Amino acid sequence: MNDMHGIIFAYSSDQRMKELTEHRTVSSIPFGARYRVIDFVLSSMVNAGISDIGVIMHENYQSLLDHLGPGKDWDLDRKRGGLRILPPFGLTTTGGRNTSYRGRMEALGSVLSYIKQSVRQKYIVMADGDIIANIDLEAVLEKHLTSGADITAVYSKNLGEDPAESTYFKFDGDGMVCDVVTSPDEPQGNSSLGVYLISKSLLLELIADCVSHSLFSFDRDVLQKRHGELKIAGYEQTGFAVRMQSTVSYFRQSMKLLEKGVRSDLFIPERPIKTKVRDEASTYYAPGSKAVNCIAADGCYIDGEIKNCVLFRGVRIGKGAKVSNSILMQDTVVEDGVTLDYVVTDKDVVIKEGRTLVGYESYPITISKGSIV
Amino acid sequence: MSIYRKKDCVAMVLAGGQGSRLYVLTSKVAKPAVPFGGKYRIIDFALSNCTNSNIDTVGVLTQYQPHELNAYIGSGQPWDLDRLDGGVHVLPPYMTGKSGEWYKGTANAIYQNINFIDQYDPDYVLILGGDHIYKMNYSRMIDQHRRTGADATIAVIEVEWEEASRFGIMSVDAEGQITEFAEKPKEPKSNLASMGIYVFSWQKLKEYLIEDEADSTSSNDFGGDIIPKMLSNGEKMMAYKFEGYWKDVGTINSLWDANMDMLASNSSLNIFDDNWKIYSRNPTAPPHYVGENAEISHSIVTEGCEIYGTVENSVLFDSVTVGEGAIVRYSTIMPRVTIKPGAVIEYAIVAEDAIIGENAHIGADPKDTDPDEWGISVIASSVKVGTGAVVKPQQMADADVPAAKKTAVRA
Repeated sequence: MNDMHGIIFAYSSDQRMKELTEHRTVSSIPFGARYRVIDFVLSSMVNAGISDIGVIMHENYQSLLDHLGPGKDWDLDRKRGGLRILPPFGLTTTGGRNTSYRGRMEALGSVLSYIKQSVRQKYIVMADGDIIANIDLEAVLEKHLTSGADITAVYSKNLGEDPAESTYFKFDGDGMVCDVVTSPDEPQGNSSLGVYLISKSLLLELIADCVSHSLFSFDRDVLQKRHGELKIAGYEQTGFAVRMQSTVSYFRQSMKLLEKGVRSDLFIPERPIKTKVRDEASTYYAPGSKAVNCIAADGCYIDGEIKNCVLFRGVRIGKGAKVSNSILMQDTVVEDGVTLDYVVTDKDVVIKEGRTLVGYESYPITISKGSIV
Repeated sequence: MSIYRKKDCVAMVLAGGQGSRLYVLTSKVAKPAVPFGGKYRIIDFALSNCTNSNIDTVGVLTQYQPHELNAYIGSGQPWDLDRLDGGVHVLPPYMTGKSGEWYKGTANAIYQNINFIDQYDPDYVLILGGDHIYKMNYSRMIDQHRRTGADATIAVIEVEWEEASRFGIMSVDAEGQITEFAEKPKEPKSNLASMGIYVFSWQKLKEYLIEDEADSTSSNDFGGDIIPKMLSNGEKMMAYKFEGYWKDVGTINSLWDANMDMLASNSSLNIFDDNWKIYSRNPTAPPHYVGENAEISHSIVTEGCEIYGTVENSVLFDSVTVGEGAIVRYSTIMPRVTIKPGAVIEYAIVAEDAIIGENAHIGADPKDTDPDEWGISVIASSVKVGTGAVVKPQQMADADVPAAKKTAVRA
């Protein structure tokens, strides 16, 4: 048991995720055959012994609520603490604004009473809900304590994503942050994963200061402005780490799961990624079916050919169908004789018999939830 | 008088049997806890049938090697049996005053738990075995029991006449009332076999249990004592005819058979049915991976598996690794087994955490074997089979098998 509390920012519904965030936030996008994006940061917290976690939402959160439920699947269904959903109702500080939070500090300001009253731990791990990584938060805490920092930021050297949406750190000789760059034109090396460890008391001070100065961004208004006065340490996440920023990156990063090294970075037996249990039967491969370089969840029925694919739970591939380089989400039905290449189907999509859909690596065709082609 | 709400029916699952005919597979666990069908344990079928039949109060009677079974059942949450009122309860034998004893027989096990059942003041008690593979809506059987005003209702299934002498056989009249019961008769008069599933009117059963306990000559068994006694006393006993898949998995061969049956698309055991899900405690494992050169045919694969070799007509449990060039045919591979490259496994059951070395050969195809020498090969849990080692048909390896000598032919 340690002294950390978790807060997850799950309010983002990034426009660039297009069809995938039509009905959900980025953190509830299905990822990796059987997970939602939020499972990775949530499980990282639970695996570090964090038992109290608040999830901040703003809009479009029906799907996320449905996924999280009472938190039972992450062992967060507790009498004291456990999972706390923090929707935007009862906002006092943002006075009825109906657009999403403009930044983490604004989001924190709106759940101030929760932080004051319900956080019984000394430290808070704040994390964005759009990260795919298995982070050892116990090691982050250890680094925080040994370095004597005020804030410890988790960063990665090879996030490889859109610099316009990223924050980068430069470190001095003592390993403390000496410069913070936000939204540059070119990638700058150590990019922030959006995971920060901070004490409750310092966070409360910072929130009070930001709210009273109408500041809302943690990266710009806290890290960038105050790195001179605050001691900000870095913790390098060496394994696989990405942020969900666009459909193209969604596609590319999903396909990386076909690499063994990436899977062993994410799926560590001692720190398993937990998700909602759906009680599906196993996946059945029919005689005459063929699967090459694919990952698949349970409950699929495969009668055709699949190559370089990610199959979510309950997908059906009909006889004679040929599906390659595609991501098929939960309960997608691919009827007999269909050909798919570079296609992403959302939940409950049906591709009728004999159809052919071909996208391209840099522009995979994305089919919205429940569509019938 | 009771702090609990009255229940219509309480189910009691007899899960204390050792399952000695499963040999090395039950040396450390009770038979109901033996893995089955890729994701399940045998008891999942009885528990899922209960929850799907809207029975929310279940007692599980344990006795032999109960730890794994107890831990598996836990709070009952996977079967939706973690209830404020009722739910699943594990019931081991216990001490009363200065005495206390093991469960002597199936009837005695229920007798010792009369107080547990009385807490819920049920009208009916459903008695089940924890060791059969089937999907059954018990509420229909209870409805029939209620409608016919029976004292006991026994589920029966038609079996092949030549098989009938292996079962408890019921003779029934035109109304379905049981007229005669014969345990394993040499010359069966009927082909309706008892499935070991009983509904009793609780007050009536209680009388018989108390009477049976007082009889020192009784073996305290439902099939051997209670049922014949009720029948000879002229109680109203009805048969409830069940149609569908039902299999006792009490032997190595029947366990292997049932796993193979599950794959067959024409078997009535449809585990993919969304309206009658079989629930289980799920491992936390990532999606399975199928490699560049893998071949999978007529098989089921589940989470955590990594398949690089060939898998045909087989049932794989979670987190099984099949190495490059390895072949798995007509086999059941239990959780976390590692099959090294080049190994061949056919017509076998490999238990949890076993490691099969490179180019080892387990089992054989019946086509290539003398029928007298053929049988399912079994590797017990955590056994290591060395490089190039051979495990013959019928052989049961419950200790590590050394690697073949260097003169052995390498593939």
